[in-house]
Amino acid sequence: MISGVAMVKGGLAVPWAIMMSLLVYAGSAQLAALPLIVAGAPLWVIVATGLITNLRFVIYSAALRPYFVDLPWQKRAALGFFMTDFTFTRFMRSAQEDSLPVRTDAWFAGVCSSNWITWQLSAITGIIGASYVPTEWGLEFTGTLALVALVGPSLTARPAIVGAAAAAVVALVAYPLPFKLGLFCGAIAGIVAATLTDAVEQRSPPAPAEET
Amino acid sequence: MTEPVAGLALGVVIVGLALSTFVTRTSFLLAGAKLRLGHRAEVALRYAPVCTLAAIIVPDILMHPPAHVLDLSLLNPRLIGALAAGAWLCWSRNIVGCLGLGMAAYSLARLYL
Repeated sequence: MISGVAMVKGGLAVPWAIMMSLLVYAGSAQLAALPLIVAGAPLWVIVATGLITNLRFVIYSAALRPYFVDLPWQKRAALGFFMTDFTFTRFMRSAQEDSLPVRTDAWFAGVCSSNWITWQLSAITGIIGASYVPTEWGLEFTGTLALVALVGPSLTARPAIVGAAAAAVVALVAYPLPFKLGLFCGAIAGIVAATLTDAVEQRSPPAPAEET
Repeated sequence: MTEPVAGLALGVVIVGLALSTFVTRTSFLLAGAKLRLGHRAEVALRYAPVCTLAAIIVPDILMHPPAHVLDLSLLNPRLIGALAAGAWLCWSRNIVGCLGLGMAAYSLARLYL
C-alpha cells in the first residue's frame, strides 16, 4: 500500500503506477527507484539501483533451490518470480520446523499467490486512494519512511551497521556527482565496508558459529 | 533539475525493474548445479540492499528539496519525521505505527517550525 501511495505522490500517473506494481512486484526496489524516476536520473542508474536492492533475492533463490530442484524449469521460474521476503521467510520457517507438506511446490504456490493478491490489492488501493489526496499533505514522504522501516530492523548485525553508515556518509559527500552517481558510490562503499567488517569478525576470536 | 522520467522511457524503466526482479529471484532456481554461492559473495549480497537503501534515505532526509544542501538542524521536518519513525522502531516492529508517528511528526514540523 505504501509503495502505491508513494508512487502516485512521487508524481507517477495512476496507470503507470499500477503497471509498475503488477510487473515489478518488489516494494523496496520500487521505493528505491522512485526518487530517481522523479529526479529524471538516467535509465540505467534507475534499473541498476532496483537491481542492487533486489540482490538479496539471489540468496533466497539459492536457499530454495534444494527444495524445488526436481521441478520443470517453468515451475521453478514461476515460484521464483512470485517469491517475496515474506513468503520466503514463511517457507524457511516451515522448513526448519520440518512441517512442510508433501506437495511443497503446491503449498508454496498457494502461499505466494495469496500474498500476491493481497499485496496487489493494497498497492492499487494506495495508488487510487492517494490520487485523491492533495500533494500539499506531503504523503510522498511515506516512501522514505517505509524505507526507514525496512532498513531499521536489519541494523542489528555489525556489518549491516558499518555498511549502512559508510554508504550514508559516502552518498552525502558524493551527492553533487551527476546522474545520481553518488548513490552508487555510497552503495559500493557500504558493501565493501560490510564485507570487510564481516571478514574481521570471522577472523577475531571468539569466532561466531557458522550456520549453513 | 531535469524532468521526471515519463512516457516510453518510464515504460523501459518498468520493464528493466521487472527483469531485475525476475533475474534475482529465479537466479539459483534456474541455474545449473555447478553454480555455488561462496561465503564472501553471500555476505556482499546480503548487505547490498541495506547499504543501497541507506545511500538513498540519508541524502533524501538531510539534503531535501528545494535547496539540496546538507541540513542537519533539528528544524528539518524530514529529520524530525525520520527520527520519530526510528524511535518507534526501537520500541515496536509495527510498521503502521512507525509510518503514522513519522508522518505526524513530519507534518507538525512542516506546519509549525
